[in-house]
Amino acid sequence: MIAAAEPPGPGAAAGADRQRRLRRISLAVAVIVSVVLLASVAWVWQRSLLPDTYSVMDMGYPDYGGGAVPGDEPDALAMDGHGGHGTHGGDGSVGVDTLLGPSGQPDVSLTLTARSETIRLDGEGAREVSGFTLNHQSPGPQITADVGDLVQVRLVNESVADGIALHWHGVDVPNGEDGVAGVTQDAVEEGAEHVYRFVAEDPGTYWYHSHQVSDEQVARGLLGALVIDPPADDSATPPAADHVAVVHSYSGLRTVNGTVGTESVEADPGSTARVRVINTNDGPLRTWVSGSAYRVLAVDGRDVHDPEEVEDQAVVVPAGGRADLLVTAPSDGTAATVDFGGGARVAVGPSDGGPVIGDDPSVDLDLLSYGEPARTGLDPAQADRDFEYRIGRRIAFLDGRPGFWWTINGRLYPDVPMYVVEEGDIVTMTITNDSGEVHPMHLHGHHAVVLSRDGEQASGSPWWVDSLDVEDGESYEIAFVADNPGIWMDHCHNLPHASEGLVTHLMYAGVTTPYVIGGEHANDPE
Amino acid sequence: MRQVYRLLANLIALGVVVQVASIALAWFITLHDLDEGLVLDENFDYNVGHVAHAIGGLMVIPLLALLLMVVSFFAKVDGGVKWAALVLLAVVVQILLAFVSFGLPWLGALHGINALVVAGLASMAARRSLKGRTRESVAA
Repeated sequence: MIAAAEPPGPGAAAGADRQRRLRRISLAVAVIVSVVLLASVAWVWQRSLLPDTYSVMDMGYPDYGGGAVPGDEPDALAMDGHGGHGTHGGDGSVGVDTLLGPSGQPDVSLTLTARSETIRLDGEGAREVSGFTLNHQSPGPQITADVGDLVQVRLVNESVADGIALHWHGVDVPNGEDGVAGVTQDAVEEGAEHVYRFVAEDPGTYWYHSHQVSDEQVARGLLGALVIDPPADDSATPPAADHVAVVHSYSGLRTVNGTVGTESVEADPGSTARVRVINTNDGPLRTWVSGSAYRVLAVDGRDVHDPEEVEDQAVVVPAGGRADLLVTAPSDGTAATVDFGGGARVAVGPSDGGPVIGDDPSVDLDLLSYGEPARTGLDPAQADRDFEYRIGRRIAFLDGRPGFWWTINGRLYPDVPMYVVEEGDIVTMTITNDSGEVHPMHLHGHHAVVLSRDGEQASGSPWWVDSLDVEDGESYEIAFVADNPGIWMDHCHNLPHASEGLVTHLMYAGVTTPYVIGGEHANDPE
Repeated sequence: MRQVYRLLANLIALGVVVQVASIALAWFITLHDLDEGLVLDENFDYNVGHVAHAIGGLMVIPLLALLLMVVSFFAKVDGGVKWAALVLLAVVVQILLAFVSFGLPWLGALHGINALVVAGLASMAARRSLKGRTRESVAA
């Protein structure tokens, strides 16, 4: 427009020429900027895409925790191989499909048949929800074994379209029996079956659940309780009642053993009951007792040493975690309640005794200082490896989806650290959470002892865990012995978080897996 | 190009309206379900409102803002690049605010306020493209 105002002449032609050139240059710049802008977004997006099929052996990068690098030794870790099909690989590696439970006549044997069907929830406001069942029920049948028993479970998939797998949560089974689709087995497709065998070694409270598309299948009911009883001569005087409380929310309804509202446990006034709380949900479960003091006898299937009486404090059971509470029925004939919030509770007392219902106390029991110290048989000063498991969060693409995704040591799935150990290693691990949300961290196949939290040393009973809530801003130091060779998931048990990439593995040198994520069985462990 | 610029800017402004509507819907559905006995815990399934809000906020609007930025280079709208850049910046701030608010819920209030900033900037951009047209038609 300025050019048009100038008097016509040779200068005007030059001016118009300059204008044209300027316009051409700015157009070129605009095109370049646009291409760079769009191409970089497309590149970041494309890079985040996961292959349809991959092996966890090829995931991420090895983290040796400052210990010896097994790759330096001949015939050791094969990070790039799939271990061949079964048995022992040609490179001296061991396939997880060979790490199985013993053969022989099982002491406890049952068949669990999984179906996609309606679950009937009993109790107050009973209703039906669509979901998955085992032997037509959810929770599935409780499995009870004595210490030393060989347990055999035949899992049949009648009608769960995505396929299934059963993980024995908290039971340190041989790796090949761990039930993780795509890592320790293939998903059991409709019409197929799979047999699990393991020895019940440690008395305590455990549970089982699907580890195929687990975020959906567990929430919708593929789960059940597993209790291992101690040797008969072990406990001095067992509590009068022993009751398992599988707490699960179905479609927004919180239930105990599939019952909405209050479940009664018959107990004479003054007698005691062991209530085994199993949190099968994705979030922490605040549990409190009204009408009785209580003791926490065990956490995650490990006894608490000399637990003292607790009053007016709640115990927080992490997602996937368990707490065994000793509750006394009040002497006045009423019923004490173990309350799980959301209207779900267990009443301990005479069946005609009114339940004592109290408010959720504001103080939580701190297991870091609960009970009396005892030997752990594990010296963290002798640690062979020291790992860092730092949980963060980032705005990014994950498999092409934009969102706020979890990171491990600053890296996004699948580019996460793979913790490499050798059998016999003493391992320490610091789990730090700066992600804005709590994460119930679950290590398969092992129990770890808590050493400290935010620098404060554990001062109570040895606190052994397989599921540990690490709250936002917290840092836990734990230790464990690498005594169970395999490829073990180490993930967040808020299962949607796991499906959002908060998953890595503890890998033993020389162990490989022939199974793949994806593949013809559509393995999808999270 | 100018029409495309205007269309994109208007879509972003409209997108903010949809976002406001979807998040209100999400929580009214939730509150209603609570009356039916819903327990709000980590097993809680997000309802249609939450899902729509996530898709709109993390995919649709950022993509529109990015396209508006690109189109602005070619649309010959007076100040068009500047307004597109401001819209894009406000969208980025909006996503960041959502992100940090999970850990610092009080900051979530700013997420609500900044939504109006996104809508306002997008409307300004759309209006700018109208002004350009007037001048162009006069010049022609």
